[in-house]
Amino acid sequence: MNLLEIQNISKQYEGKKILEDINLYLEKGSTLGLIGPTGCGKTTLLRIIDLIETPSSGKIIFNGQEIPKTKKERIDIRRKIGMVFQKPIVFKGTVYDNICYGLKIRGEDKDSYQDKIKYLLDALGLFDYEYRDASTLSGGETQRMALARALVTDPELLLLDEPTANLDPQSTEKIENFMEQLRDERETTVIIATHNLIQGQHLSDEIAILNKKIFQIGKPEDVFRKPKSRFVAEFVGVRNVKKGSSRRVEEGLALIDVGAINVYSSAALEGDVYMSIRPEDITISQSKVETSALNEFEGEIKEIKDSGGILDLKIDVGEVFSVYMTRKSFADMGLTIGSKVWLQFKASAVNVFEV
Amino acid sequence: MNEIINAFFEAIHLLVTLDPEVIEITLRTLYISITSTVIAALIAVPLGGYIHFRKFRGKRTIINIIQTLYSMPTVLVGLLVFLLISNRGPLGNLELLFTPGGMILGQTILVLPIIAGFTILALSGVKEEIRDLALSLGASEIQAIQTIMHEAKYALLGAIILGFGRAISEVGVAMMIGGNIRGSTRVITTTMSLETSKGNVELSIALGIILLMIALLINLVLNHVQER
Repeated sequence: MNLLEIQNISKQYEGKKILEDINLYLEKGSTLGLIGPTGCGKTTLLRIIDLIETPSSGKIIFNGQEIPKTKKERIDIRRKIGMVFQKPIVFKGTVYDNICYGLKIRGEDKDSYQDKIKYLLDALGLFDYEYRDASTLSGGETQRMALARALVTDPELLLLDEPTANLDPQSTEKIENFMEQLRDERETTVIIATHNLIQGQHLSDEIAILNKKIFQIGKPEDVFRKPKSRFVAEFVGVRNVKKGSSRRVEEGLALIDVGAINVYSSAALEGDVYMSIRPEDITISQSKVETSALNEFEGEIKEIKDSGGILDLKIDVGEVFSVYMTRKSFADMGLTIGSKVWLQFKASAVNVFEV
Repeated sequence: MNEIINAFFEAIHLLVTLDPEVIEITLRTLYISITSTVIAALIAVPLGGYIHFRKFRGKRTIINIIQTLYSMPTVLVGLLVFLLISNRGPLGNLELLFTPGGMILGQTILVLPIIAGFTILALSGVKEEIRDLALSLGASEIQAIQTIMHEAKYALLGAIILGFGRAISEVGVAMMIGGNIRGSTRVITTTMSLETSKGNVELSIALGIILLMIALLINLVLNHVQER
């Protein structure tokens, strides 16, 4: 069952479009990574879901019920949602006062939550922090406290807005470990907004690539391997993106004319397309080889970049391709700038997406 | 020079022996100033809060007017209240002229802008994110406002103490509305003004010391509060 459904949500602010036609469906207990560059509308979308802001159009369905208009009923729903903001922020008082805020305004008895508070503080590496002045905590500690503060009331939906942006690695790790645990328990539904791809991929069941609108949504590995648009491809760091024209040559095989070369692809898309090939999927040889790879081109090494043990070679075969190679095989083959080489890659390694 | 030194010792004597007139004037002064500060705070804090939390046209102008009124001459307020409560004024039948009640009305008007203005300042000092944080943790609008007020409580107290400082040290309203009637409306500042012109400086110095002590106390409390 879906805990949250977001249907055609748009938001304009002073005539500027911030969000366009957002549709999201979140299953109970799942974790969604909302990934996009800075200024892509992540925060606005989370604020709309948290009912702090209202969308210009569209609707939100929470637990099968459309969000009501009256303030009273909206508060009832907001109380089932917890949010951690990007900027670490505290109320005056102790860590304990801060964590109890949600309980206090709900008129809950704090005493019956002692075990839970202790558990949350421990789990977040804040053992014995109860009576510290919250304003003296570091950014990382504040953010961990914020997580405890949002979770003490057992929200059905937890929204995290860049929870580890600008934090020390230790706090980031503690928060990530905790989030992993939360994801695996599958009791709290979570949306985690981040510009950090690795974090988003690591912590989420599904990721949505957002930049004013949702460009792609799916399992992390699918989005990373098979971006459906140029924006996603570039955002997730896909290399070797070329524009070309694709036509089917036989069942399950297309030929893409990218200008100087023709590339075989197993994708079915025809017409104007973008194609991409991951640098690690390309092999290099010094002479033409008999191989199952349909794509083989001769070219020349133009540039060599050392990126931490792995070499990033730019090879010109009419089009310039980026190819990864270990330092060892580079040395074994005795390559240098200007060397003539052959590139091979399979038709099935070519990812094709619409223009 | 000797005269001044003698007067100073005489003043100390008046203070140490708890001279009934000195005590009576001091208590009346405190009563009038504290009452007017409390009334002004009850109006000005919610008013300042309203101005801060609401968005409306002319908000900036209103804040500018309030800030201008900080330095409103006390004699001008005195004149205004005099016209209001004199026999022929619109509130003449309340018979407030030359009574402590009239003085309280005047001082309330005098300190209202200060408390309202500094309330707005105190609330703007609270980070904007606090409201969102309160709402996200399930607060209603009212609870969020309470939380912001709570966050600003020391600055709000500072605003009220500042208002009290202005009320207790002013002389214009007290003189024009109170009339400095012995045993009825005589307060520290009006007594000092009258006794000094009569050449009776001992009493003036004694009252001056009390006024300074009160100012010192206010400052200590204010500093303590702002350190929190």
